[in-house]
Amino acid sequence: MELLLFVLLIFLAGAGAGLVGSLTGLGGAVVVIPVLLIAFDVPFPIAAGAGLITVLATSTTTGAAYLRERLTDLRIGMFLEIATVPGALIGASLTVFLTHADLDRALLIALGAVLLATIPGALRRRTQDAGGAARPDARSSRLGLEGTYVDEAGLSTDYRAARTDPALGVAFGAGLVSGMFGIGGGVFKVISMEHYLRLPMKVATATSNFMIGVTAAAGAGVLLAAGYVDPVLAAPAALGTTAGALLGSRILPGLRNQTVRYLFLPLIAVLAVETILRGLGWA
Amino acid sequence: MGVTNTPPAPPPPSRERIPEEAYARMAVVLRVGLALSLLVFLGALTAYLALHPHAAWTSSASDVWRPYLSFLGLLGGLRAGSPVAYLTLGILLLVATPLVRVLSGLYYFEKGGERAMAGIALTVFLLLLFGLFVLGPLIR
Repeated sequence: MELLLFVLLIFLAGAGAGLVGSLTGLGGAVVVIPVLLIAFDVPFPIAAGAGLITVLATSTTTGAAYLRERLTDLRIGMFLEIATVPGALIGASLTVFLTHADLDRALLIALGAVLLATIPGALRRRTQDAGGAARPDARSSRLGLEGTYVDEAGLSTDYRAARTDPALGVAFGAGLVSGMFGIGGGVFKVISMEHYLRLPMKVATATSNFMIGVTAAAGAGVLLAAGYVDPVLAAPAALGTTAGALLGSRILPGLRNQTVRYLFLPLIAVLAVETILRGLGWA
Repeated sequence: MGVTNTPPAPPPPSRERIPEEAYARMAVVLRVGLALSLLVFLGALTAYLALHPHAAWTSSASDVWRPYLSFLGLLGGLRAGSPVAYLTLGILLLVATPLVRVLSGLYYFEKGGERAMAGIALTVFLLLLFGLFVLGPLIR
């Protein structure tokens, strides 16, 4: 394919992915990676490398806004990164090893399954906060994993992180998935923080975003140094997803969040199924 | 009476030890890192397309970036004005931005006397460097 056309198409695909990712809350990489694999025949580790670069660009865009609003809990984010970063390092290495072992098809099937698994997380109606009543465990008390969240109405909620062991386990899994498939894995991180640590919804979302960037940097670092981040592919993809995510954040307030999700999540389901069919050799 | 004079337990660290300025400064780090890398991407991509108007992209032919994976190779490419070297620099800037953020966290935790959290931040930072400089080249 001619380079100019290729760059233009990747930019447009990235912009579409960034828009859909922003509107569904799943991030652009869950769309851009299957599109690169299916429509452009990009080899798996190179698609994952480009995906992680788009994750870095979009999480940096939103991460700065969350930090300014003081929604991010730096302490809890840093604490969970001790699990997500090793997960991402192992995940990215696994992708390289499986590719060397000609097991790309297994990677495709696993990616499709992970994409399908993210959909219920995005569909959850997140209207009630879990924070407040949780009893912190010994590690949480020692590290001071607690804070206060003030909502738009000025009401403050104190929270204390509970059950840090299972939260670390899920965070490691989220890192593994991120490094292996080049996605942000934010849905899994948010579930770990809401379900186990019992953090308020907005704090969990902002802190997850803070962690996504560092986790993606771990996976991208491995794939970059191993020679699987193609800058000619990753650069237009990152420019496109950033533009799409910015556009999405502009138009999102005027749309009904849940309706938008119902509109776009079937698209992600179709991409996931197509990826699995490719892996099985049926497409 | 069985009463012992043990010193009171130190209060648990609270998030208030992270100063307000830390959040604003980290947000600035993120914005500057992203803006720089996107600007480099835009300029280098334009130059690359102008220099190779009829080139084609295939996954096997796109190995043009591999000479820039070493520090000296990248430096040589930047000096020679290679657009692909600049694209690689943009990628590195994007990857380095969260590393700077972790370093900022390490600084603020250390400044606040929070040894355990500073240890966690240092471990995360060293793991990131390990991936980039040891693990990645090892599995290349």
